[in-house]
Amino acid sequence: MAGQSGTGTSATRRLGILVILMLATLALCGLWFSAEDVVQGSTVRIMYIHVPSIWTAYIAFGLTALCSGVYLSGKNRSLSWDRVAGAAGEIGVLFVAVSLVTGSMWGRLTWGTYWVWDARLTSTAFLFITYVGYLAVRQLGGTHRQRARRSSVLALLAILEIPLVHFSVTLWRSLHQEASVANPNAKVELDGLMLFSLFLGLVAFTMLFVWLVLHRQRAMMLEDAFSDRGLDVAITARRNEAGA
Amino acid sequence: MDLTPRTATEPGAQPPVRKRRWLPILIVVAALLGGGVIVTQFLTSAIDYYCNVDEIGVRPGCEGERRMRVQGVVEQSSIKQGDGGTTFVLDFNKKTLKVAYSGDPGGVFQECIPVIAHGRMVNGVFESDRIEVKHSNQYVEKNATRIDESNKEAAACSVLKG
Repeated sequence: MAGQSGTGTSATRRLGILVILMLATLALCGLWFSAEDVVQGSTVRIMYIHVPSIWTAYIAFGLTALCSGVYLSGKNRSLSWDRVAGAAGEIGVLFVAVSLVTGSMWGRLTWGTYWVWDARLTSTAFLFITYVGYLAVRQLGGTHRQRARRSSVLALLAILEIPLVHFSVTLWRSLHQEASVANPNAKVELDGLMLFSLFLGLVAFTMLFVWLVLHRQRAMMLEDAFSDRGLDVAITARRNEAGA
Repeated sequence: MDLTPRTATEPGAQPPVRKRRWLPILIVVAALLGGGVIVTQFLTSAIDYYCNVDEIGVRPGCEGERRMRVQGVVEQSSIKQGDGGTTFVLDFNKKTLKVAYSGDPGGVFQECIPVIAHGRMVNGVFESDRIEVKHSNQYVEKNATRIDESNKEAAACSVLKG
């Protein structure tokens, strides 16, 4: 980080510009070029944010679990893995929240209600609560290694909810429709430009996630370094007092 | 940054007060309570959210005059509105059910679309006070060159029925 004034590098700046361009293209495709749905009308456009949001959350929580597993199984137990896990967890929670809010808006317009306690919505709410708890556990105090150990175990347990959420619409009877792309029949149920806009959304949101994680884990590294420096200063002060 | 050994050498000094991080603890407790509520809702409501029309009086939990949710496809030309209410016929697996809804259904309610009606059976009619439109996983572009106005309704119906 020497010679750097923030958490950005030339690579992240280039990635950031690319993300902005991708999101602008998504806005054009989603709001302008793609047609209305024959039943939903313009409400379908919410899908271009809703689906990429939950997709990104799945990736985020997957990365959280992966880094947690590497941290726990690695010989040197580098805290970098824990910081990436924490950063991905934070961003994942943000994207689940976006997915819940946009889904609720879509539900009001299509189903006629903001919320129902069906299998998909209930399991997604549970996923959200679980990872809010994960983030709270990370803040409980103790050393960085204590934080890393307990949150890694929790992350490895929480990831088991993802298949439950994704397959909830096939496992149980749900108001929420089954997947239109990643379904068991491997049949894509979207017309051309709708599918393209959705795919564009998935790519754009994934790139946005990568950009956010890169910055957040670097910010976390600075926070940890600041905390360690405070400890070093306090220990030095005590030693000086003892020696005086 | 507090390192507790200092106070042990200071006679008369107050013992250090260990700072607890209450906010994360409260969030963890709230998450556990929230999780408990959600699991309860899941067990009572989310599993088998509805009965299909052909399961009424046949499947456990779908019989009698108890309150239930019924899923079926709105039969073509069956919607009638009047006296502040809406009546229509639900169709599923060649079984039909007459529904009387006290109001104007919201969402994208229309013929040939799957819906879930909340209510209870009264004299062979399902009296409903809530309708939820169950959208399929098919997304079809509204395309003027492909679907003209005269057959749009029929096309939508065939799409939704699969």
